[in-house]
Amino acid sequence: MMLFETARLTYRYDRLTALEDLSLAIAEGSRVALVGANGSGKSTLLRILDGLYFAQAGTVRFRGEELTEARFADDAFAFSFRRQVGLVFQNPDVQLFNPTVFDEVAFGPLQLDWSKSEVRERVGAALDRFGIAHLRDRVPHRLSGGEKKRVALASVLVLDPAVLLLDEPTAALDPRSQSQVIDLLVEWGGGAKSVITATHNLADIEDIADRCLVLDGGRVVADGPPAEILRDRDLLERTNLVHAHRHKHRSGELHSHPHVH
Amino acid sequence: MRLLVPRGRFLERTVEGLHAGLEMALDAENSAAAGGLLQPLDARVKVVGLFSLILAAALAKRLWVIAAIFALACALAALSHVSFRVLAARVWIGALAFTGAIAVPSLFLTPGDALCHVPGLRWTITAQGFATASYLLLRVETAATLAVLLVFTTRWMQVLKALRIFHVPLVLVAVLGMASRYILLLLESAHEMFESRKSRAVGALAGAARRRVAVASAGVLLGRTLELSGDVYLAMQARGFRGEVHLLDDFTMKRLDWVALAGFAALATAGVWAGR
Amino acid sequence: MHIPDGYLSPATCAALYGGAVPFWYVALRRVRQALHTRLVPLISLFAAFSFVIMMFNLPLPGGTTGHAVGIGLAAVVLGPWAAMLAVSTAIVIQALFFGDGGITAIGANCFNMAIVGALVAYAVYRILARRAAIGSARRVVAAGLAGYAAINVSALLAAIEFGIQPLLYRDATGAPLYCPYPLSIAIPAMMLGHLTIAGFAELTVSAGVVAYLQRSDPSLLQSTAGRGAESIEASAGGALRPLWLGLGALLILTPLGILATGSAWGEWVARDFADPAARHAIAASSFHQAAPLRAPEGLARWSQIWTAPFARYAPPYVRSAAFGYLLSAMFGAGLILLACLAVGRLTRRQGPTT
Repeated sequence: MMLFETARLTYRYDRLTALEDLSLAIAEGSRVALVGANGSGKSTLLRILDGLYFAQAGTVRFRGEELTEARFADDAFAFSFRRQVGLVFQNPDVQLFNPTVFDEVAFGPLQLDWSKSEVRERVGAALDRFGIAHLRDRVPHRLSGGEKKRVALASVLVLDPAVLLLDEPTAALDPRSQSQVIDLLVEWGGGAKSVITATHNLADIEDIADRCLVLDGGRVVADGPPAEILRDRDLLERTNLVHAHRHKHRSGELHSHPHVH
Repeated sequence: MRLLVPRGRFLERTVEGLHAGLEMALDAENSAAAGGLLQPLDARVKVVGLFSLILAAALAKRLWVIAAIFALACALAALSHVSFRVLAARVWIGALAFTGAIAVPSLFLTPGDALCHVPGLRWTITAQGFATASYLLLRVETAATLAVLLVFTTRWMQVLKALRIFHVPLVLVAVLGMASRYILLLLESAHEMFESRKSRAVGALAGAARRRVAVASAGVLLGRTLELSGDVYLAMQARGFRGEVHLLDDFTMKRLDWVALAGFAALATAGVWAGR
Repeated sequence: MHIPDGYLSPATCAALYGGAVPFWYVALRRVRQALHTRLVPLISLFAAFSFVIMMFNLPLPGGTTGHAVGIGLAAVVLGPWAAMLAVSTAIVIQALFFGDGGITAIGANCFNMAIVGALVAYAVYRILARRAAIGSARRVVAAGLAGYAAINVSALLAAIEFGIQPLLYRDATGAPLYCPYPLSIAIPAMMLGHLTIAGFAELTVSAGVVAYLQRSDPSLLQSTAGRGAESIEASAGGALRPLWLGLGALLILTPLGILATGSAWGEWVARDFADPAARHAIAASSFHQAAPLRAPEGLARWSQIWTAPFARYAPPYVRSAAFGYLLSAMFGAGLILLACLAVGRLTRRQGPTT
């Protein structure tokens, strides 16, 4: 049984088509990078996989179960799904909606009706593991980008989900925070956990993924190991993931090479 | 009430106001984390205690009782390391200016026994007028001081959770908490919008143009607000939110809290009795 | 616009809290029904927006600036019940955290601005906009006038609340304990500023942002457009029960009026003028003007015509004055409520078909 399976998925925002006839299958325990330029449909796909958006056409299955709005109306299914699949949003101000860091990390466990003492214990452990225990009473507004990201990860991983979905985890982070996030993901991804990361940062994908799906215009245009994808310059240029960069050397020679962001 | 503001420089004044709001939030957060008399007490004790003192000041029919409660508030502030300078800047001066302006005419307009004449003008200050102006000013200052004391000695989320004592429904406590969290964000957005317009404005804008800027900023802010609310809704669902609000409150009454509660009760009762 | 502590007596504040609670209750019920899980993020974010709007210095004609509450805009975008909750939330945070507006006065401020303001704004908007197209100028004008009307009704209520203070609450020497200005001063003073500056600020925000939304995102104006709209503002009979509870709260608070020394100003009967004790009380509450020895002729004549069934509020067979007061108030309130229900039923039958 596949972890996620989509068949001819189509999603439209008013008149804009975000996903077009998209079919893919992701196995348990895989580490996948969804790669594409902005507007290629990565975020939309993640939200559909997390049961937040429901497509106008096509189907999506999680471990064989079809994800529909009706299915999510059932409390038992919803809680079980939310426990197993976690999504980290790109914008930290959306992800961190509680008044303090402690409340933020405690939010997930509280929704699942754990006992208060258990919640406190688990939250404390998560804060320690992510090195943010000293921030517990702080307001999310005044944290640095890296701190916010760690709080966001802690608040999702405190539930120990089987699947982690990430939307542009290293966007707007300074290099040191970026590498910290990558390290965390590499470490957490060991074993039977599945990680699906949407990113346009090509530098990351080799570390965090074994399989790379390239999205363009709402469709999957390439599927393979990261090394192979990164070698295909034409593909990368076509899908706007790189651009040709021209500059003149002091010797007067004109040099052009693909430039990766 | 800020009906009239000196003309011109509307962008600057708005920016200043927004900035002051952000500053206040930061000051309160720092102060609540510091040590002091009131800081370690249970939030519920402080909410109930300080509210009852505000009520005692509101009920009092004698000036000296209100003055005594005000003195008590100042003492509590000093013992909780809330400096008088902060209180003056945040509360006293503003209230004095505003309520003072409102109270001054009552000195002359309230009928009663004449107290003294204003030299030059043919106006008489009456004893009743003086009393009434004093009631108003003292009550405003006292209540405002006590309210600021609450917020400067208690972490904001604890204040909100303590409101449950007054049977405020959980969902509204959650709304208050989330609103507070996003006020800071929106204040900053608005601040940035106005700062950037300020830097782009060459010379003063004409009236109608300024209005358009203000309204357009409001419109953009509204759009951002509603978009944010949609995304936060998704984020909440993604973490399992199904509509039931759960709050984790770590309220436990220690012996010190009971003592403090008794103290507040005694003082408030004395105040109400003495002021009746 | 935000009433600080100390201007209104605790009794007035309590009565206004009592008046606000049933509306908050009904609003919460209806908004929950309509929004479900969306309630928390939508109301919170809009409350935050409302808070920030209240801080905008709006430049107005004549070189002044004013502040808007945003209640008109809230009512047009969210409907009256959600608007009520959002603006109340902003007011509570302002009072509690920023000290803008008193804590005892939260009930009063919410009642005036958030509750009555939302209802007035929504009513005016729906009546003026009728079935106009979402993008029409008519809706912009309607929104502007809705905001203007709302803020002025709020100001009038506040003025009345201020104005009755010196009549009811004085200390032993006759000095007013709270707001010292009677209705004759309070009403003109409040209304002047609001009919001009604050009203215009509110009008600008409501009309201006609605016009902006018509261009940028008209779907936001859909829910209050009134065509086939069910949702929050559709009346449901069952929701009246909490209003009874609220009325009950108000009624139980009316004996607080007994706490005021002597009878309420103006509520004298002809007999009082002959009784020396009563005359002293009348004089004390009328700025020490001595009462005439005989009842004014008109008062004497008219007092024969209408001997209200609950004369002087205390039917003779009830021994306790407080209980009699309560009974009379209940009877009076019941009459008013029946009248309102009757009017409501009549207008609903003539209302626009959806």
